[in-house]
Amino acid sequence: MAIPTLAEKLEWLKPVPATEFERECVKTIRPGEYEIGVQITNDILDEAMEIFVRSSRSYFGVSGDSMVAIFTAEGDLINASCGTYLHAIIQPIIIKFIRKYYTENPGIHDGDIWYTNDALYGGIHNPDQVAIMPVFHEGRLIAWATAALHTTETGATEPGGMPVTAKSRFEEGLNLPPIKIGENFKLRNDFLEFYSVYGLRAPAMFISDLRARCTTADRVRVRLLELVEKRGVEFLVGLMRKMLEVAEAGAFLKIKNLPDGKFRSVVFNDAIGWTPALVRACFLTITKKGDRLIFDFDGTSPETPSSYNVHPQAVVGHIANFMYEYFFHDLPICSSTFAPIDFVFQQGTLLNPDKLAATSCCVYIGMQTRCATHNCFAKMMFCTRDGWSQVASAPGSQHTAQICSGHSQWNLSVSDVLSFSLNTQGQGGRATTDGMDAYGFAWCAFGRAPDCEQVEGELPLTVTLSQHWKDSSGPGLHRGGSGAVQQWMIHKVPQMLSLCMGNGSKVPLGQPLFGGYASTPIPGISVKKADLLQRMKEGDPTLTLDHRQIFEQHDIKGDWKLELIARTPDIYAEGDLLFGFSGGGPGYGDPLERQPELVVEDLKKRIISSRTAENVYRVALDTEGRKVDAARTDALRAAERKARLARGKSYGEFIAEWSKKSPPAEILEWYGSWPDAKPVRPIFRP
Amino acid sequence: MANADRRIRMTEYLDLDLDREQWICNRCGHGLGSARDNYKEGCLLYDRDPREIHQPIVDGKFTFSPDPLWVQIVEFYCPGCGTQIETEYLPPGHPITHDIEIDIDSLKRRLDSGELVIREQRIEAAQ
Repeated sequence: MAIPTLAEKLEWLKPVPATEFERECVKTIRPGEYEIGVQITNDILDEAMEIFVRSSRSYFGVSGDSMVAIFTAEGDLINASCGTYLHAIIQPIIIKFIRKYYTENPGIHDGDIWYTNDALYGGIHNPDQVAIMPVFHEGRLIAWATAALHTTETGATEPGGMPVTAKSRFEEGLNLPPIKIGENFKLRNDFLEFYSVYGLRAPAMFISDLRARCTTADRVRVRLLELVEKRGVEFLVGLMRKMLEVAEAGAFLKIKNLPDGKFRSVVFNDAIGWTPALVRACFLTITKKGDRLIFDFDGTSPETPSSYNVHPQAVVGHIANFMYEYFFHDLPICSSTFAPIDFVFQQGTLLNPDKLAATSCCVYIGMQTRCATHNCFAKMMFCTRDGWSQVASAPGSQHTAQICSGHSQWNLSVSDVLSFSLNTQGQGGRATTDGMDAYGFAWCAFGRAPDCEQVEGELPLTVTLSQHWKDSSGPGLHRGGSGAVQQWMIHKVPQMLSLCMGNGSKVPLGQPLFGGYASTPIPGISVKKADLLQRMKEGDPTLTLDHRQIFEQHDIKGDWKLELIARTPDIYAEGDLLFGFSGGGPGYGDPLERQPELVVEDLKKRIISSRTAENVYRVALDTEGRKVDAARTDALRAAERKARLARGKSYGEFIAEWSKKSPPAEILEWYGSWPDAKPVRPIFRP
Repeated sequence: MANADRRIRMTEYLDLDLDREQWICNRCGHGLGSARDNYKEGCLLYDRDPREIHQPIVDGKFTFSPDPLWVQIVEFYCPGCGTQIETEYLPPGHPITHDIEIDIDSLKRRLDSGELVIREQRIEAAQ
C-alpha cells in the first residue's frame, strides 16, 4: 500500500526546488508585473470563493468554512482564499501523492477531477473533503486548483460527519484516498452513485456540496488559463515560483528576528468522546535557533480508542490557523512559509496515532495544539518591535457542535450542524486591546454566523434567544472576546434527532496569557417538555429571555438536564429546548490592571456580571451602580495585592505541597502515566 | 553600552536585564532570579480553586465552572508589588511549565555583533 509515511508527509510540506524551466520563467517577470500577478491570483481566488459559498448547501459551506487554492505543477501551494487556513499548508501532500503514485496508472490528464477526504493521505478528518483539478495548457501540466469544504455528513455510525463513538476508522463512514472521480470535465455517474449512498441522511446537501467543490476548482482552472492566454505560460509559471521564493524569504526573515531559545506550553482536554477523561492534549516545546523553528510534541498523552486523535499533518493545519492569523499575517498563504519549520511527532500519541485510529473528532485535540502555539509565540514575539502587537491569547475554542438530523418541516432529510455556536467564539485578549467579541471560529477566522431566519427556514428549529454569553470570556488587563449563546426550540416537526460533539465542560480550553484568566467551561444543556412554546403561544408577559436568568432560576419549566457537552444521540420532541454556546477568549494580563471604566462598559454590555466586576476586577461602583468609585476601587485593588503577597508561597514551599497532589485516578484512564503521560497500555481497535 | 539600554521586555510583566542576566518585574523592578533559570522560581505561587474566578451558576456536576478536582489555577505573583505575572490552569500536582528559556548567550552575541539592536526595550534587526 502507498499510504504516505510521516517522513513523506513532512517532506511534502516543503516546497520542491525550482526546475530549470521555472528559473527561466522567473527571469521574465519584470518589476511591477509581479505585484500585479499576485493580485490577479487574489482576484481569481476571491471570485471562486464567492461561487463556493453561494453554491454550497451545508452550513459550513454557507458560513465560508472552506478554502480555494492554487498550486504549482509540482504541487506547492502559492496562494489561497480562506475561509479556513486549516487546509492551507497540508494540501501539497495530497497533490504530491497523486503525482508520485498515479501519474502512470490511472494517469493525470486534462479534465480530470480528483477527490479525497482521508486524513491518512493528507487531510484533516473525513468531513473535510477536497476537489482537485490539474490545469493543463497545450498538453503540459502547469498548475493545480483545489476547493475544500467541511460537509456535515459522511455516512458514519452517527449523523453529522464526526462520529463521537468511533473507535477506529472503520466506523467513520466514507474515507476516500485520492481518487479520480471525473474525466473530460465531467463527474463520473458511477462515482456519484457510490458517493451518494454515503449521504443518504442528507442527499441534497451532500451532492450539492460535492458539485460546489468541483465547480469552484474548475472556475480557478478556467481563470488561470485565461491568464495564460493573456500573458503567456511563462508568466504564470514564473509568477508562481517567484511567489514561493518571496514568501519563503519573508518567513525565514521573520523567524530569524525572534530570540533564540526554547518556549513551552501545555494544554489539557477533558473528554474522550462521550467519556469524561483528562488528557494532556498537547505538550509543546518550540525551539528557535537561527532562522528555523522546531515544534516538538514530546509529552503529549498517548492515542486513545476514540475519534479524538489527530494525524500529524492535521496538527500542522491547526497551527497554520495561528500562523496566518497572527505571525505570518503579512505573508502570502503559501506553503513555502513553512519551509523554515520542522515538526517532531512521537509515534503512538494523540498527535500521531496508528493508521487504524479514528480521527473524525480530531479537531478537539488539534485545536489545543493551536492554543499551545499561541502561548509559545507570545513569549517569543513580545520582545520584538515588529511582533509584540500581534501577541494574543488563544481564541475561545469550546463550543456546542449540535447536530440536527431527521426530517425538516419540508419533509426533506437533513443532517447538519448548527453553525452559530461555532462562528461566534471570542478572540483571545491581545497585547494592545481586548479580544473581539464573537469574532469567528477558532478553526476559521472568516466564518460567518448564519442568519437565524435562514436556519429557521431550513431546519425544524426556532431560535428563541441569541445573545452574548455573560462571563464567558477570560478576565484580564485585556479581557478575552465574549462568546455567545443561542436557545434552539424544536419546532414545526413532531421530533428531531440530535447529538453533540465537543469538549471543555470540566477544564477550560487553552491557557490565558501573562496573568489573565481562562474562559468559562461549557456544559451540555437541554430542557425536555419545556413550557416555553405554550407560554409563547399564550403571550405570557412574565416570560424572560435572558439566558443567565433562565439558567440561574430555571425560569423555563421542564425536565432540565446538564451534562458533558458531548452528548449521545437523543430524540427531542417539538417544544424541547437545546442551548448552544460558543466559548469566550482567554484573558491577557492581570485583571487588577484593567481600566475600571472598561469594566463598567462590560457591565453595561452584559459581557460580565457584577460579581466578576467586584470579585475579579475589584471595581467598586457608586451608590447608583453606574460609575466607578475610584477611591474604593483603588483601596480594593491595593488590598488584593497585599493579600496576594500574604498568601503566596515561595517556589520551593509551594512545590513541596503541590507535587503531593494528583487528580482522581478515575479521570486519568487515558492520560498515560502520571504526570509525564507516557503510554501505559496497548490500544485495541475493532 | 549602559545597562539601562540592555533591558528588554520579554512579557507584559517580565523584563530581562541582559547584562546582569536577571529577570526583573516590569512594574516595580523587583528581581526575579537568574535569567538562565525559570522566572517562576522567583515568584510567589498560589493555587486557587477555579470556582472563585469562574462562578458556578447552576448546581450539579456541570456548573459553568472548571472542576477543581480536574484543574486548579496556579497564580504567580511578583514578590515586590503583587502583580499577577502569569497564570497556569493545571491539574492538581502537575509540574509547573518552564515556559521561557531564552538563549542568553545567543542574544548577547547577536546584539554585540550588531545583528540586532534594542529600541524602546524591544529587539529588532539592525537596519
